[in-house]
Amino acid sequence: MVVIGVGNALRHDDDAGLEVARRLRALDGARDLAVREHELETLGLLEAWEGYGAAVIVDAIHSGARAGTLYRVDASEQAIPTEMRSSSSTHAVDVAGAIELARTLHRLPARVILHGVEGQRFDAGSGLSEPVRAAIAPLLEAVLRDARRLSG
Amino acid sequence: MSADGGTQGGETRIIRTDYLARVEGEGAMYVRLDGRTVEDVKLRIYEPPRFFEAFLRGRAFTEAPDLTARICGICPVAYQMSAVRAMEDACGVTIDEGPLRDLRRLLYCGEWIESHSLHVYMLHAPDFLGYPGAVEMARDHAGIVEQGLQMKKAGNALMAVVGGREVHPINVRVGGFYKAPTRVQLRTLLEPLERARETALATVGWAAELPFPEVERTPELLALSDPDPGSYPIDRGRIRSDAGLDIAPGEFDEHVVEEHVEHSNALHARLRERGSYLTGPLARYGLSHAQLRPLAREAAGEAGLGPLCTNPFQSIVVRAVELVQASDEALALIEAYEEPDAPAVEVTPRRAVGHGATEAPRGLLYHRYEIDEDGTILDARIVPPTSQNQLAIEEDLRAVVERDLDLPDEQLSLRCEQAIRNHDPCISCATHFLELTVERG
Repeated sequence: MVVIGVGNALRHDDDAGLEVARRLRALDGARDLAVREHELETLGLLEAWEGYGAAVIVDAIHSGARAGTLYRVDASEQAIPTEMRSSSSTHAVDVAGAIELARTLHRLPARVILHGVEGQRFDAGSGLSEPVRAAIAPLLEAVLRDARRLSG
Repeated sequence: MSADGGTQGGETRIIRTDYLARVEGEGAMYVRLDGRTVEDVKLRIYEPPRFFEAFLRGRAFTEAPDLTARICGICPVAYQMSAVRAMEDACGVTIDEGPLRDLRRLLYCGEWIESHSLHVYMLHAPDFLGYPGAVEMARDHAGIVEQGLQMKKAGNALMAVVGGREVHPINVRVGGFYKAPTRVQLRTLLEPLERARETALATVGWAAELPFPEVERTPELLALSDPDPGSYPIDRGRIRSDAGLDIAPGEFDEHVVEEHVEHSNALHARLRERGSYLTGPLARYGLSHAQLRPLAREAAGEAGLGPLCTNPFQSIVVRAVELVQASDEALALIEAYEEPDAPAVEVTPRRAVGHGATEAPRGLLYHRYEIDEDGTILDARIVPPTSQNQLAIEEDLRAVVERDLDLPDEQLSLRCEQAIRNHDPCISCATHFLELTVERG
């Protein structure tokens, strides 16, 4: 099982997935988990989860919902809803596209759970918006819960 | 995309496309037709373009490679390479030969392989095969998509070994690298790169058979020109054009002006007193065809490409030729690699201005920095290939729309999108967001 935080550290809320990965790595109780930060180019996810039976993906979402809204989709059981477009800053193919491409090519791990947080700003710059910053702790908790469940 | 169609030939007709997919980032295209007359063509770019230049001010000169690498997810190495060249230029250091230069070129080959295979297979091929995107195309053409992923993986592996990480390399520094790979490490790349080279050769043949709209465009072509007659331009050289421009990177500012235009947040670049120009694979190929490696040149010839390609839709074939070039050169560099005595040379800052230009997969990428005596960045200027190509892309669009006026609205919109993707625009680099509109009125 691998946890992969996706995003761009210099696109404000697009850093949310990476921030979760960084915090997870710093947790004493999570040192046994495989955690990766996957910056910028999204199709590389097909390689990042290669060899793992399960993956938890964390990314910022840009759907127009209230900033800080948390999402959880079990991608092994359903296609990613179209309204759950990932943050679009530098993704030629977004995370949902990478997951669906992998599904078509039979390159998706047996279990994949996508966690997202609705972002407020994706322009160039560093630092999370307040609603996203406030959502990081519950998001981290939800990610850790799934990671533990899928590791067991 | 939406199309509010009307009849053609004089009556009101509006085509509207609000989101431009399969280019890096987001952006907008706007085409306005009045009857059979193309009234206006605009590539509209949103978002303040100069964040990164401002962000760099006050930072250490050593931070520029890593910070600018985050501007684009597809070409971080290009940003690193233009940044290190500019900083070394400012500090009076030149790394134009030896293993450190070879390693830089090798890393850059990895990025070309990764970026071109992504564009050829995932972003551009769906246009020619009639699919809205790679996911839909994969259902019917899994083999083609797998080929693209296999090549991309070889490029990623190369970037991981030399760059320290696949997607956002962290091993590059002003003066060289933090750690040089061993011969043994590099030799692990031979097998995947040999397979990539074979796939690239097959890709040239496959791409050459795609259906190309007959469009001829002859913009002024601008690219680096490597001083070694056996070396295709990647990491060094003078800036030349097919209309006689021949300047050092340090003269770029004098010859290229960037202008704000009302419809776009990106700056539009043009040659002073000359106008638009094109940079990227078509320009490199047209100016340095003779400097391709023999294998790549032969592949181009067999695909029916002459020394100059004037149909922008055939850029997919030229990219495939450059995939052969990059994989073949990477293999040669690995075979000849001797480990350097030190992974970097010492670079001492001084108060100066430095310029760096290298060939990103999409075209010439220019950096200029002014630094203080302690290496603090006082000023930065970054001119990415997409902002240089915007006027030429608009001119392509005008030619395509004029040629295909009689296409139904939706097909004309798709043809316009395809014409934009001919140049693999990285909107993220150019400003950092795009959306698309075609309108007939």
